Amino acid sequence: MLGLLKGMGVTLKNMTKKKVTYKYPDEPVKMPERFRGIQHFDPEKCIVCNQCARVCPTDCITLTGRKHPDPNKRGKIIDTYDINFEICILCDLCTEVCPTEAIVMTRNFELAAYSRDELFKDMEWLHDNNTKIRGGSQ
Amino acid sequence: MEVNLESLAVGEYKELERNVFTTTLENVKAWARSNSLWPMTFGLACCAIEMMGTGAAHYDLDRFGTIFRASPRQSDVMIVAGTVTKKMAPLLRRLYDQMPEPKWVIAMGSCATAGGPYVKSYSVVKGVDQIVPVDVYIPGCPPNPAALIYGIHKLQEKIRYEAKTGKRVTDT
Repeated sequence: MLGLLKGMGVTLKNMTKKKVTYKYPDEPVKMPERFRGIQHFDPEKCIVCNQCARVCPTDCITLTGRKHPDPNKRGKIIDTYDINFEICILCDLCTEVCPTEAIVMTRNFELAAYSRDELFKDMEWLHDNNTKIRGGSQ
Repeated sequence: MEVNLESLAVGEYKELERNVFTTTLENVKAWARSNSLWPMTFGLACCAIEMMGTGAAHYDLDRFGTIFRASPRQSDVMIVAGTVTKKMAPLLRRLYDQMPEPKWVIAMGSCATAGGPYVKSYSVVKGVDQIVPVDVYIPGCPPNPAALIYGIHKLQEKIRYEAKTGKRVTDT
């Protein structure tokens, strides 16, 4: 009898409490500030130093660059920049080594796809992925 | 009621040729199936922790009719959550074969999609699509519960779309 009362006590106590379930598909989930989602890439800032491709533990980043078209300027500009998101483990190392912060993490995580080809992200896609950038205003 | 079939375009005529009642029934079936996706409890690694978290109070998969079953006989969808080793691969295939039709597979996480951090390993299968047909791939290491819910919704959309149009989603 005491056990039943105890159980009902717990039930009644929790009945009036606020519900903990997130209304996810109806309302977006607020991710923590340092959440690691898919990267955003800025081709303007990239100096083709190859650090990100070198440090990547799964070798999912491939990039090519060419000489600056203006002969008076030194350095290189980026040609192609691809992340094979099938095997990217979102370890954050590429954004840590990047000296110019050309590649940064975002808080976007809705990436499920019907085919593996869709998970191969090129420079254009990564550049357009410019919402919820980590350290940004949003 | 008289229907003038000559004035219809070829595509419209083809649509008419299809039995109206049958397509509606397909839609009803897809609606029922997509809202009672029972996944098989198939956790292999750290992704399984996220999958369990998705089933718990904060994300609550039961809202979508997704209730975990302990037997392949009672399940519709197999969420491959984690690294599939070459030793585990035949068992995964057997469990898939034991599931009744219709059945779907979700590859959750980088490991199940393509091998993830173990792409250079000698003992890991580089993607479960080498063993079973996969419907939805969810990247991430591991994907957070919201990403898994997004993937499950994507599968529901696929079931409804394929029943409605008779086309595969990947053909577009």
